[in-house]
Amino acid sequence: MIQLRNIRKTYGKHSVLNGINITVEKGDVIAILGPSGSGKTTLLRCINFLEHPNEGEITIGEVAVDCKHASKKDVLALRRKTAMVFQHYNLFKHKTVLQNVMEGLTVVQKMPAEEAREISLLMLAKVGLTHKADSYPSQLSGGQQQRVGIARALALNPEVILFDEPTSSLDPELVGEVLTVIQNIAQEGVTMIVVTHEMGFARDISNHIVFMEEGRIIEEGKPQDIFNAPKEERTKQFFKRFTNEWSYSI
Amino acid sequence: MGKSFDIGLILDFIPKLLGYVHVTFLILAGAILIGIVIGFLVALPRLYRIPVLAQIAAVYVSFIRGTPILIQLFLIYYGLPELLKLVSIDISQWSSMFFVIVTYGLSIGGLFSEVIRAAVTSVERGQTEAAYSIGMSPFVAFIRIVLPQSFAIALPNLANLIIAYMKDTSLAFSIGVMDMTGRGQTLGTTTSHFLEVYISLAVIYYLVCILLESIFSRMEKRVSRYERKFG
Repeated sequence: MIQLRNIRKTYGKHSVLNGINITVEKGDVIAILGPSGSGKTTLLRCINFLEHPNEGEITIGEVAVDCKHASKKDVLALRRKTAMVFQHYNLFKHKTVLQNVMEGLTVVQKMPAEEAREISLLMLAKVGLTHKADSYPSQLSGGQQQRVGIARALALNPEVILFDEPTSSLDPELVGEVLTVIQNIAQEGVTMIVVTHEMGFARDISNHIVFMEEGRIIEEGKPQDIFNAPKEERTKQFFKRFTNEWSYSI
Repeated sequence: MGKSFDIGLILDFIPKLLGYVHVTFLILAGAILIGIVIGFLVALPRLYRIPVLAQIAAVYVSFIRGTPILIQLFLIYYGLPELLKLVSIDISQWSSMFFVIVTYGLSIGGLFSEVIRAAVTSVERGQTEAAYSIGMSPFVAFIRIVLPQSFAIALPNLANLIIAYMKDTSLAFSIGVMDMTGRGQTLGTTTSHFLEVYISLAVIYYLVCILLESIFSRMEKRVSRYERKFG
């Protein structure tokens, strides 16, 4: 189980997160939605301390960290419970696809190379890229690179995978293949927190939606409730445009 | 003026001078080793914006860039023993080779630091974040992810600096190191065929230069193989 309690983050005088509380159960897929600048990516990056929250408490499994007094050891412990998929893939460019996926297993988890290799090939099979195992990232399309990013995260077998706008920098043509892969692993029961602008995807994949604006959670609940019957005025306004588009496309 | 020009002497001089080529390589190798250490020591405070140290590093680089290597050589040759005298260490009798290697190391290190700095910053921050996200410590992430890529990026510039300094080792004889140029001086004095000596030296330095260039270009191909689109 993952618990975020009263997470606060400020840059100088500018407050980005104003006390966020979220609970995630095992197997949950949480989608965080909201307009640009609402703090959703910052929140995600606070969970693995790529951003240092000023205040609050993060609990993942048996690791509980008081953000204000987090030590280097706490930070490493949180990072070893999580994995992240980035908007810009952030693959290790000097390593092959297989080495990218193996890196965390051999270097961080100290797994023997043979075992790590087996697991990594399995993960590459899941994202449909076994045939690219020996290619370098520069030889892949954006969609393929992102699928490697997903395999790299999956291989670590983390408590939760954090997706930071995983399709935002992809060509529209390549979005589908990445979303399909994410959907497949969601069905396997992997716990996920997904920040995305793909509304239809968020609705289909998640069992809980969090709508944020200006560093606050405005509304949260089941996808069908948030999309079809939002309570808050701001949420209605935000989803109206989307539901309109949706009805046109049908 | 020397005696009349005799082209045949060049073939005679080249092997004699080549007998000292190892001195050039020794100075260069020592300077590169010291230079890499100095390069990192000077680059790190500026990369991590450590106050005071970063400013000292900037002044150091600016001084190395702004003064001739010959002057730096004399400053170390005469200055270092004086400085160490203050803490009662006597190195005035040490071989001039030592002073040459120290000078070239300090000098090339200052310029290395700029190349290292540029190369390290050019590896996207995102890759470091990805390394952190899979649980690597900052040190391991630097060694395994940033450093290998910085090296590939830095190599062409490092190679240029090394080749430039190889040529500058010809100044070492001015504090009495017997290298190819030093030997050439004595050869010129005893035979009075200075032009033939300098033509021979030019040929040798040029060949060494080409040798280094081909070694570096092979290394570059090897370390940057991951950048090729189709391979």
